[in-house]
Amino acid sequence: MINENDPSTLTTSGRLLNYNEAIKDGLQTGLTFTKLMDQLIRTTDADELVSAATQLADFQLDSDYVTFPHQYSNADYYLLFMSRMLELHDQGSQVILQSRDHREELTQQLTTLGDRGTFNFRVESSENGGVFYRERATGQSLFYLNLERKMFRFNSHALTQLFIIDLHETVPAETVKTSVQVLLDFARYLKEDYGYSVDFNILDAANRQNYSVRAADLPAGIVDRLFVTAAKNDYMLTNGVNGNGAEITLDNNVVVDIFNNQLEGQPEWVMTVHDDDQKVSWFDVLLKYPFMRDWYLENLTDLEIKSDPLIFG
Amino acid sequence: MENQEQQANAADALTQVIAGKLDYLSTMQAAVQHGDDRKIYELLDQVRYYQEVKKTRANRSVNHLAELVDNIHPQISHYLSDNLIDYLGHIYPFFYYEEFTTGMFHIYFGNWWDRRLFGDLDVINVRFEFDKTEYQKLRDSFGLEGQGQRLNTSKIEAISAESEKLQELVDAQTTRDNEKTKLRDQLKENSGKSSMPWESGKVKGERQDIIDQLTQLADEDEKALNAHKLIKENDDKILVLSKEDTILNYEKQSIRDAFDDFEHFEAHNASLYADYLNSLLGKSEGEVTVDD
Repeated sequence: MINENDPSTLTTSGRLLNYNEAIKDGLQTGLTFTKLMDQLIRTTDADELVSAATQLADFQLDSDYVTFPHQYSNADYYLLFMSRMLELHDQGSQVILQSRDHREELTQQLTTLGDRGTFNFRVESSENGGVFYRERATGQSLFYLNLERKMFRFNSHALTQLFIIDLHETVPAETVKTSVQVLLDFARYLKEDYGYSVDFNILDAANRQNYSVRAADLPAGIVDRLFVTAAKNDYMLTNGVNGNGAEITLDNNVVVDIFNNQLEGQPEWVMTVHDDDQKVSWFDVLLKYPFMRDWYLENLTDLEIKSDPLIFG
Repeated sequence: MENQEQQANAADALTQVIAGKLDYLSTMQAAVQHGDDRKIYELLDQVRYYQEVKKTRANRSVNHLAELVDNIHPQISHYLSDNLIDYLGHIYPFFYYEEFTTGMFHIYFGNWWDRRLFGDLDVINVRFEFDKTEYQKLRDSFGLEGQGQRLNTSKIEAISAESEKLQELVDAQTTRDNEKTKLRDQLKENSGKSSMPWESGKVKGERQDIIDQLTQLADEDEKALNAHKLIKENDDKILVLSKEDTILNYEKQSIRDAFDDFEHFEAHNASLYADYLNSLLGKSEGEVTVDD
């Protein structure tokens, strides 16, 4: 009896046919791949771009019978995708994609930041999938992206470490701001055009954004410290409107609140940044006001804004 | 018959007394109905009213009628607070009031973080009842200004100096460790010395000296070990004191903005009753309110 699934039962020609089919499949996979690559590199349609990237994100190019010796890693398609996405929004010049000689590997620089930072994606090996956008020298993962699950999460810890601490001395605040804006725009396009679930975290300029601090039950001394240091800098920390926290009005009617968001039960201390145009985020406050930055960094253990614990836990 | 007459007189007298009380109460009622706060204040304390507002020297006899409304003071106070707090808002823009129970008001100084509970407002008597401790701190703080100091400057300096010393102890650990090694070597050398009878006193003395120095260093080591904890505690103490200084500074600034100095502030407090009632007098007679 011939069982197609059991090679030992096949005739010689049957085996050759099977072999031939497997190679055809493998080549077909290769052709599909090249089509997707064409699409990723050339398309001017954002929908096609997202579709190509999503398919390439976990594309298995090799099969048992056909393997390709020169391959980019899946992470590189993400980098390509990011550049192309920005390009389709007329921001292509804001990132520089670099390929290496004799090696299939891509890296990226943010144009304004230049060689102060080199970025790539690192594939998350756990079942969650997705990739981390990482600064290579410091290893800081600035955000997490999952095309399949349409998820985007900024990481407050890495953004603070890289832009507020490491690059503070050498890179002007304005440059940091324009560099980060590129990442922010990329996330915004995914959210606005493709309904991604995006956590902008400390970059979120919306007034309603509650930034949760790490110490849910914030020690009172920390707010006291802001009160004292603010007074030295000619700003007054006042009682918050809701009576369970504090408020400080900075320049141009930018108001930072720090308060317990839970009226009863377990406390949950959060910060908010309000401004008339909803253009100022906590990150912007840290860049602009040295005394706020010092206060935040000196109390970072308690004050660090939480990132998605499932991703950056 | 005589008895009946007496009884009738007694009834007359009582009727009159009751009429007096009724009259007092209906006058009060009318004042409330007409929103005549000034009249209410006059009825609540006629003696004070005539002394301080009318400035008449003749003492009016105390008629005790005001006692009739003693047990509704909270309600009266609640009612009168509306206009009084409005008035106070213009003159003392830095005071905030909280009616913690009907007719009873806490005063908070300022709207800054952790502002102080500064006392109570006695609406019936138009008087601030400041918390003595808090008030004294503010007075002292004004006094120290002449010397360019804040209330807690010297305390903060003392604690900072202590922390600095502790830090020095920590920093000198290597020096101490080297010193100890040297002393231990000396101690060994000392024990090896031939103790000739005529030298034994000297050797013993040297030995004791070395041991004393080592003990001293060990004490310092132990202090250095605790230093971080103590420095942290000192930081907390300094924070509390700096916070208080910051608050007092805001309070002083508020008083200066409104009254120029502490003396004028106190003078205003002293004449508050007369000032307020005069302002009401101006209103009720359709005159222009005399602003301070």
